[in-house]
Amino acid sequence: MLSEKTGIHLSIDQGVRLAPILTNETEIGGVRLIDEQVRYSLRFKPEDIAAVRKASQLDLPANIGMSSIKGGQLVLRLGPDEWLLISDLSRALALKQTFATLSSKFTCSVVDISHRNLGFIVHGENAENILNTGCPLDLSLHVFPVGKCTRTVYENTEIILLRKAEHEFHVEVWRSFAPYLSRFFETSVTDKAQIRMGARDDK
Amino acid sequence: MLLIKCPYCEEERPEIEFSYAGEAHIVRPTDPSKMDDTAWAEYLFIRDNTRGVHYERWYHIHGCARFFNAVRDTISDKFIMTYKMGLPRPADVEIAKVKE
Repeated sequence: MLSEKTGIHLSIDQGVRLAPILTNETEIGGVRLIDEQVRYSLRFKPEDIAAVRKASQLDLPANIGMSSIKGGQLVLRLGPDEWLLISDLSRALALKQTFATLSSKFTCSVVDISHRNLGFIVHGENAENILNTGCPLDLSLHVFPVGKCTRTVYENTEIILLRKAEHEFHVEVWRSFAPYLSRFFETSVTDKAQIRMGARDDK
Repeated sequence: MLLIKCPYCEEERPEIEFSYAGEAHIVRPTDPSKMDDTAWAEYLFIRDNTRGVHYERWYHIHGCARFFNAVRDTISDKFIMTYKMGLPRPADVEIAKVKE
């Protein structure tokens, strides 16, 4: 597919084979692939944050593990000086201009990683369980509230996890790990659904 | 599973997110070219291998991607405390306090 906004040829699965998996949606939970997105890895000096916010109108979260969600644009703070920006394609050109200005003003690193990652949405009331099959974090709502994000692991694959709503998680993964990850999701969705419906005993 | 507190994330996180990075507080010589081979080899390879309280570096590779320092008891494998990179080695009194 040709992206009208960026003029780049791109298939959603970005060169990795994901079909025909991820078809196993059940009424209590499922995983789906997110459409093409714009992604930037941003590194700013901590002392420049206030000035960057002012110059770019970007909503950079103040604390590690927090995120801001505005329209179709997510900004996740992953570390002391590291942010990940994910946006829909409509803002691609505007972002490009913003970052051109920023990098002329500040000592920073701005890298377009749109095609390095793939995004999944894990949703449904079973979402927490699906993720906990491979992720060791405590995902209960009071520990991992809506808006919290972090880099972590799922079945030894590095992922970036963001809770968008109580029953909706955004998972980012490097594209070469995506087939592996999506197979685990597939298994996990099926297993959890079966356990829930009493078709299989977990013990 | 062992939980390790990352001083940057300020959270206890599962061990699988971390990677061990050797003994801490080893200062790189300012002028290696002036050192003889024995001294240089000692800097590179010779470590204390302490039994008991050990100062070591850890890397929160699948998290905030930061190195930090930790004090761990090598006998019980318990983490006594973790602290940010660049901070001085905690004094024995401080460690004893945390242990209690």
